[in-house]
Amino acid sequence: MNRMKTTNRANSSIPERLSKMLSLDREVLGGYAFLFPLLLFISVLILLPVLGTFLDSLRRDLPYLPGKFVGLDNYLAIFRDGSFWNSVRFTTLFVLVSVPLEVILGLIIALVLNETFPGRTALRAVVLIPWAIPAAVSGRIFELIYNYSYGAANYLTHLLGVGPVNWLGTDLGAFAAVVVADVWKTTPFAAIILLAGLAAIDQDLYRQAQVDRANFVQRFLKITLPLLKPVLVVTLLFRTVDALRVFDVIFVLTGGGPGGSTNAVSLFAYTYYAAGDFGYGAAVSVLLFVVALGFSLTYIKIARFGEEL
Amino acid sequence: MREETSKKILLTLAAIMATIFCLGPFIYMVLTSLSGNPDFLLPTKPFAPSLTNFMAVIFSESAHFLAYLRNSLIISAVAAVATVFLASLAAYALTRLSLPGKTVLLLSILALSMFPPISLISYLFKLMSALGWVNTYPGLILPYVAWSMPLSLWILVSYFAQVPRDLDRSAGIDGASRFQTLIKIILPVAAPGVFSTTLLVFIFAFNEFLFALMLTVDYRSRTIPVGIALFEGIHGQIPWGEIMAAATLTTIPVVILTLIFQKRIVQGLTRGAVKQ
Repeated sequence: MNRMKTTNRANSSIPERLSKMLSLDREVLGGYAFLFPLLLFISVLILLPVLGTFLDSLRRDLPYLPGKFVGLDNYLAIFRDGSFWNSVRFTTLFVLVSVPLEVILGLIIALVLNETFPGRTALRAVVLIPWAIPAAVSGRIFELIYNYSYGAANYLTHLLGVGPVNWLGTDLGAFAAVVVADVWKTTPFAAIILLAGLAAIDQDLYRQAQVDRANFVQRFLKITLPLLKPVLVVTLLFRTVDALRVFDVIFVLTGGGPGGSTNAVSLFAYTYYAAGDFGYGAAVSVLLFVVALGFSLTYIKIARFGEEL
Repeated sequence: MREETSKKILLTLAAIMATIFCLGPFIYMVLTSLSGNPDFLLPTKPFAPSLTNFMAVIFSESAHFLAYLRNSLIISAVAAVATVFLASLAAYALTRLSLPGKTVLLLSILALSMFPPISLISYLFKLMSALGWVNTYPGLILPYVAWSMPLSLWILVSYFAQVPRDLDRSAGIDGASRFQTLIKIILPVAAPGVFSTTLLVFIFAFNEFLFALMLTVDYRSRTIPVGIALFEGIHGQIPWGEIMAAATLTTIPVVILTLIFQKRIVQGLTRGAVKQ
């Protein structure tokens, strides 16, 4: 049967086949014409810069000195650099503390928004406000909140009967300050994504559970959590990739201080760029890039993008 | 019955806490901007309502606040429209035409959006310096267009995939070219999605910090987040009232957009992050 079909096709007239081939090619060519502007933009302004950064990382390029190729020297220097490991340690801790907090708080908010109650639409709008405010601006708001003499944070500690806390002047205080500011800004995003996941759960399951007299906690543990797991994992990974490259809020709030204790890897690289040491800054950026890429590819694989094409 | 009541109480409490959590810092910002003294939380310093901070920010020659805001609005709007137009062309090709390797292409493009921006900026800076575009609008608009392209493409693909193919087939029979089909059929049908994407890119560009920090020098192109981040005042003391007034004026456009179009934004965000 198959063989017959093949012969049939082979027997179809040559002009017909030719025009078929041509039209396919025209479709492919036309398709790439539609893709061309996008491909041009991302090649010149994303891929080329990443490649350039990689090449830079193999050079020593200081102001007023001729640049030269140094191979892996920058990387070797980085691995011996205590302040680099310090920034890696901070960034790791930052991700490990802030991302789970964001996802847990986001889940709580999503669970609330998934119920029907008066004012639900209003709350949904309110939740988006921290997301909409530029991180640099919210960094400034939190800088005032953490002001030692009259900020809102120490006003609250005073109400609780605790003495004023030196938020931005101590290692632990600055870490907490940065985490809270980031959690405030990014929890809404987690909440929105998780809410979409909750809304996709079949309501009949809950009705059945109610018939079976399962209580609120049981329903959450037995139905919500297992069914939400894929979306939870996606949210965790998405937030991890984002938290790894944290820059704005820390630049504004602590500038990496006190004493480099909140010096995120992005900020560490930036200080070298700002000082004109492009080779070293580039090598740090490349390392961060590799780690972020690993998480991104995992995310894309797990989120199963591209299936509907 | 008892469970219903306790659930209601828990829900109300959580809703109130969520509201305080999200609005607290925002309200504190607005209050500080409206107070003559930023230390109004101290028992000895009463809240002194005044508009001096706003006046100072708006009319100060040296703060350039209005110039920053104008730069931000223009740059973000142009970037949003340009990105969505170019991404629509690509999304059309990926959803409608049979191209070899398009899934791989889409996934690779998506991976780009997760690059740490720090791994691009030194080279972008060199490129823009070579073109003489540091501290100009195109110098910031072009990187924003490139940088928001992957996510826009992804969101638009998910919307375009839902437009019934019969529509463009009948347009094709009527003799419309592919470009006409995109402009006259697909874009109008997918208008809500196109609009969500434009809004998201606008907000993204309005909020962006690192590129703007590296690629702008002064009021001629500096955007408002960088302006506010670097605003230190001239008298030694940090002028908190003025900074918060500037912050309030900055957040008003985005907050209004967000409140009006919350449904669209939520939809766009969700499509961008998880498969439905």
